Amino acid sequence: MNTYNLNYLVNSLYLIKPEITISIAIVILVLVDLIMDKNKKLLPFVSMIGLVVAGYFIVDQFSTNSFAFNTGSSTGMLVIDPFGNFFKLLIVLASAFIILFSVSSKEIKENLERHGEYFTLIFGMILGMMFMVSSADLIVIYLSLELVSLSSYILAGFTKQTLRNSEASLKYVIYGGISSGIMLFGISIIYGITGSTNLYEINSLIQSPQIQNLTFFLAGILIFVGIGYKISAAPFHFWTPDVYEGAPIPITAFLSIASKAAGFALLIRFIKITFIKSVDPEGFWHLLGIIDWKSFIIVISILTMTLGNFAALWQNNMKRLLAYSSIAHAGYLLLGLAVMSNEGIAAIIIYFAIYAFMNLGAFLVVMLIANKTGSEELDDYKGLGYSTPFLGVALAIFLVSLTGLPPTAGFIGKLYIFIALVDAKMIVVAVIALLNTVVSLYYYIRVLKHMFLDRPEKEAPAFSISAAAVALVVVMLTPVLVFGVYFTPLVDLAKNSVALMGF
Amino acid sequence: MTETVLIQLAGIILFLPLLGFIVTLLLGKKIKLIYNFENAIIIIAFSLSVVLAFIKLSYYPQNTVVGEFQWINLGNLPVLGPVSIDLGIMVDNIAALMIIVVSLISMLVHIFSIAYMKGDKRYNRYFAYLGIFTFSMNGIVFTHNILMMYIFWELVGLSSYLLIGFWYEKKSASDAGKKAFIVNRVGDLGMFSGILILFYTYHTFTFDKIFQQIGMGHIPFNSEFWLTVTGILIFCGAIGKSAQFPLHVWLPDAMEGPTPVSALIHAATMVAAGVYLVIRVFPILSGGALFFIAIIGALSAFIPATIALTQNDIKKVLAYSTISQLGYMILSLGVGAYSFAFFHLITHAFFKALLFLGSGSVIHAMHHEQDIRKMGGLRKKMPITYATFLIASLAISGIPLTSGFLSKDGILAGTFAFGSLTGNWFFAAVGFLVALLTAFYMFRLVILTFHGEPRDKEKYDHAHESPFVMAMPLVVLAALSIFIWYTPNPFNPEQGPLLSQWIKAPVIYTPQDARYPFMRSDAAPKELGQTAQANNEEVVFSETYTEAMHNAHVPAMLLSLFVAGLGLLFAFLFYQWKKLNPDKLAEKIKPLYNLSLNKWYFDEIYDATFVALTLGISRLFAWIDAHIIDGIVDGSASLTRYISSFSGKFDNVVVDGLVNSTAYFSGFVGLVFRRIQTGKVQTYIVLVVFSLVIILFLFKSF
Repeated sequence: MNTYNLNYLVNSLYLIKPEITISIAIVILVLVDLIMDKNKKLLPFVSMIGLVVAGYFIVDQFSTNSFAFNTGSSTGMLVIDPFGNFFKLLIVLASAFIILFSVSSKEIKENLERHGEYFTLIFGMILGMMFMVSSADLIVIYLSLELVSLSSYILAGFTKQTLRNSEASLKYVIYGGISSGIMLFGISIIYGITGSTNLYEINSLIQSPQIQNLTFFLAGILIFVGIGYKISAAPFHFWTPDVYEGAPIPITAFLSIASKAAGFALLIRFIKITFIKSVDPEGFWHLLGIIDWKSFIIVISILTMTLGNFAALWQNNMKRLLAYSSIAHAGYLLLGLAVMSNEGIAAIIIYFAIYAFMNLGAFLVVMLIANKTGSEELDDYKGLGYSTPFLGVALAIFLVSLTGLPPTAGFIGKLYIFIALVDAKMIVVAVIALLNTVVSLYYYIRVLKHMFLDRPEKEAPAFSISAAAVALVVVMLTPVLVFGVYFTPLVDLAKNSVALMGF
Repeated sequence: MTETVLIQLAGIILFLPLLGFIVTLLLGKKIKLIYNFENAIIIIAFSLSVVLAFIKLSYYPQNTVVGEFQWINLGNLPVLGPVSIDLGIMVDNIAALMIIVVSLISMLVHIFSIAYMKGDKRYNRYFAYLGIFTFSMNGIVFTHNILMMYIFWELVGLSSYLLIGFWYEKKSASDAGKKAFIVNRVGDLGMFSGILILFYTYHTFTFDKIFQQIGMGHIPFNSEFWLTVTGILIFCGAIGKSAQFPLHVWLPDAMEGPTPVSALIHAATMVAAGVYLVIRVFPILSGGALFFIAIIGALSAFIPATIALTQNDIKKVLAYSTISQLGYMILSLGVGAYSFAFFHLITHAFFKALLFLGSGSVIHAMHHEQDIRKMGGLRKKMPITYATFLIASLAISGIPLTSGFLSKDGILAGTFAFGSLTGNWFFAAVGFLVALLTAFYMFRLVILTFHGEPRDKEKYDHAHESPFVMAMPLVVLAALSIFIWYTPNPFNPEQGPLLSQWIKAPVIYTPQDARYPFMRSDAAPKELGQTAQANNEEVVFSETYTEAMHNAHVPAMLLSLFVAGLGLLFAFLFYQWKKLNPDKLAEKIKPLYNLSLNKWYFDEIYDATFVALTLGISRLFAWIDAHIIDGIVDGSASLTRYISSFSGKFDNVVVDGLVNSTAYFSGFVGLVFRRIQTGKVQTYIVLVVFSLVIILFLFKSF
């Protein structure tokens, strides 16, 4: 083991420029909030600048393949690789949109005096997520997970005047606390068995047959609980509908994209690095037999998507509906992992890039409507397609894309997942996923029915939307439509991003 | 200046009209003057086309410039193999010339329409539609692969449908739109099958890659027969779009659309797209396919020409004449006279657009009267329209000093050469006969419309020369119908740069055995054999054919002059000098006259066969639906009712007990599910721990 000295740390700093940028942004945000006491207009600008700079650094080091903060001769606490960088980029992009959402959200605007902490906490989450996607050490995993969780607990309860908001926040805290406790238990068992917290070292240690299988199996599942809670995989999803419904819409959207993406990146890295035996030339992984991850993930994913889709059928609140829909999408995404191949990971990456836009777009439209009508109930959407055709059509496109119908991008995302499944000869699973998609069509189209076919009891008031909001919706719509017909660049990006450090 | 400039220019020219369409359509209701935006766009597009053609033809006359990108790459699929689809723009001489024709006529029609459509309630939408048409047509011109060709092919079909049925309140107009769309679909089905065969065989849509592979001897299903079939199937698309026999029936009806639209879409550009398609795939057409094409072309040239003799609607005469002229181009391609087919496409585009715009001008002046029997004497009232119309009529009849003389003469020489080489004089005979008919019916039209005494005094008195925006396009097009733009020698087109430098017959990739005998590389006479051998694959038409064309030039020219003059003479004898009485002649050959007047009964035959068959089949299904299926349903319903009433009692007693208990059970399950999402976080945590235990138990694999 190397001795730690300052040089050692400094040498790795250049690899975490994006994280450093975000940290500096946090400090500046706090300072700006303190200095410009009454004027909060500057905060979003500072945030955007921070994100742009961080994004630049990520793109700059996109194809780096290196360990940072080495703990041994060949491993480190963090891994900087294309896979992680893709997810960092996605997180930064989603965060930038969330900042823009927040600026136009009525809920958030009403709490102007606490804007400083709002943006600071968002950046705390971003920092945590960035460490999450590049961590190769159980301690870093746990710390970053906690950083994300703690920030999001408070953000979920940001509009604390409303009752449902505080309730959501409290539930989130308790639920999250238990989950991370379970995870910590698993981590401690692994450390007890192997004497190491580094995923790469653990991997080389457990290659030997003497490892105690049952204990290690228990530990692996316990850690999965912690991550499963972040990605809201059934049966660890219970918090999702309540928190999504209660939290302010920008935060709901943020949780449904960024923190889910970070959770997936972490899960993929954890499983692949810790349990890998070899990767064959066709990109299929061969894992150690300690845990049958493949069947485990298949069961979890089918459970997740079925539960999400069926529960969504009966929802009358748009946020709750989208919450269940996001659970279902986590199920589809898990299938990409269940394939246990690089092709499956590429499919997940493609799916996430598309999912980010369509889901953010759907939440954005719901938020714009809620800004004006103050309601997210489906009954209040009646006749909306005629009173405000722009939002109606936009939401229709996002929902069609979420269903996965061509010519929208959602179709491409699902297509690649299914291609990966078929290539891995997992036909039955593919059929189940397909049937799930059919079920999901019902509740997505139900919204369209409300908007375009149902007559409102009283004349729906037409409301105007600001030009900035229109522009934001168009920015979300464009990729959803463009990637639906021209997706080669996305596929190329995904293929370049599947490389994990070491494999 | 590099070749990428050409691609960028082409891209801009392609997408500008789309921008015009979107803006004009979206803002049409709010901004009354938005049509000016569309017009400005078209003028810019035309200017850019001139620049593009100038650069292409003067700096890169030999190169084919291609810009492409990968659209879809699905990787290595099971069964199909590697699948990737490229999209791209190709600028060669043909495309450069074609884009000038398309954008020039499109611009002139836009300008003409400003006055012609004045006062229409959907004025802006009309211009928007013209915009999307121009966009689609440009796409056809610039495509470098057959998939994009097909996409834009359907888009022009769509815009044609929208514009034919533009006055959709009129039943005949909306019917005509539907007819055009459906008849085209028949041809497109064939084209699509052909495309699928090509893609199945070559895994690519790109023309060039397909040609290369065929050049290497790789043909569909390893059989020359299938190569012929593929060629004919693709040609089916041209049969539909270029209104060739037997799918020509939609074009005359399409005259229900506004007249400028007829000029742009149904005379000059879209219908020529079929010819353009054949020009694009010409290198892979086998001898068999070419012969089929020649027959279709000959029939399409002849039948409509006979119909045009007796029609009284000014636009219908022109419509049939269009089919006939397109038949000429197709015939020309079929006999191998590639360059003259494209040359005729250009010249015809100008003079036929002129004829239609001229007829539009007449119709406008006569307050939407289209029957030539009610016209006459308009020469004095509308001198500009008359003069330009006359020039176009001379051109289409093939009178020297006009553009039409040059191109038509070339086509006739081609059929003549074909006859001398193969001994098959059928095509030549048809070609000259149609030339006679053309001169006759065109001058019948001119004389009845413009000469003599006015037959409808009231309408004549109100007639007036059209305003400047309508007269200007006429003059421009009339100028373009003169020989000087194409060649300095009015009797030899090959002295101009158009035919000597720009339009080059392509390299043919079809296997030697599958070609016309005289097109084989080794078919040249002994003394020319060596050069032909030396060039081998590069030989396009064997020297034999070029030689035969040269020999045919003078006799064909003299003969065509003779027949054109004869047709003209008869037209004047019948209608101007009244030396002969057309009615008496009609009486004498009553059956033939009726055949022509009733358009060979094509519509009736199709109604009695295909339409009736389709309707019959659908009625059969409706009947099956109404009687058999409904009968089964009804029967089973009454059966069910019977059984249910029988079992009702049983139900009440036994089943209800079961049902109720099931309901209780479902309620219980529902309660459990509802309980899951109680909102109580304690429950959630218990559930998590509970499921964790289950998972541990399930996946404990040892």
